[in-house]
Amino acid sequence: MIEKSPPRWLERILLHFLRARDRETISGDLLEEYREEQAPRLGVLRANFWYLRQTLSLMPFWDRMGLPLKRFLMGITVFLVAAGVWLAVMENILKHAGYPERTMIAAAIVIQGVATLLLPLLGRRPIFPAIVATGATGLALLGAFAIQRILEAPHFEGFVLFIGLALVAQGLLTLVVLLRPHHLGML
Amino acid sequence: MAELLGVFEQAVLLTVWRLGEEAYGRAILRGVQSALNRQIVAGAVYATLDRLEQKNFIHSHVEEGTPGRAGRLRRYYRLTAAGIKALNDSKAALKQMWRGAKWPLELKG
Repeated sequence: MIEKSPPRWLERILLHFLRARDRETISGDLLEEYREEQAPRLGVLRANFWYLRQTLSLMPFWDRMGLPLKRFLMGITVFLVAAGVWLAVMENILKHAGYPERTMIAAAIVIQGVATLLLPLLGRRPIFPAIVATGATGLALLGAFAIQRILEAPHFEGFVLFIGLALVAQGLLTLVVLLRPHHLGML
Repeated sequence: MAELLGVFEQAVLLTVWRLGEEAYGRAILRGVQSALNRQIVAGAVYATLDRLEQKNFIHSHVEEGTPGRAGRLRRYYRLTAAGIKALNDSKAALKQMWRGAKWPLELKG
């Protein structure tokens, strides 16, 4: 019988971030847990997500993230909520072509931002962090898409690039906070 | 009095103590999850083990792995005398802090 294993690319990422001392022992612990508990209990797809979460938690720079970085996350989130409200209001005043879609995007940014700010209050309910994580991933992808579009556009628009970068930063940092749940109260 | 431990550090050290000779990474992770009754990411446990080892509260050694982990080495942890003292001191400090307080607490007045 072929034993189930996490994706090889994911395992390579894990090994890349681990110190030489821990490479074999920690990857072995996670492989053992994956095979004996997670994959049989959750199925391969969810076990792979579990493995991804453990891998991300072992990336060393997250250990160094303290209160200042979390304050930065809060600041950037407040900025994006304000920008989203402003965008929605302006779109509905000016009503240029495609404004309903842009209003929806602005609403999504605001909802995601408010949800992130409510994490310290509601984060202990299991479903809430999952919803915020999904939104944060969407936000980061939206930001990356906006950055790509602006870099390819004939006219450079600095504020779109700035908001795109803020979206990526907010999305990724929110995921970081969610992956470090014992820091949640410090947000 | 030695340095007082945080709750998470106490959970990790107590798990290492409870597991005895079976205290290796995966078992400790599962033990801490069970002790705290919540999901813990591996990074939190390994970072704490690393910190506790630097403080000389635990020491570790590696042994051969099993086929279930593709033969990869296991790192086993053992409490040191300093670790036992730190746990005892933390427990004593907690008892001292709660002395005279009837549990569960109720609002005064």
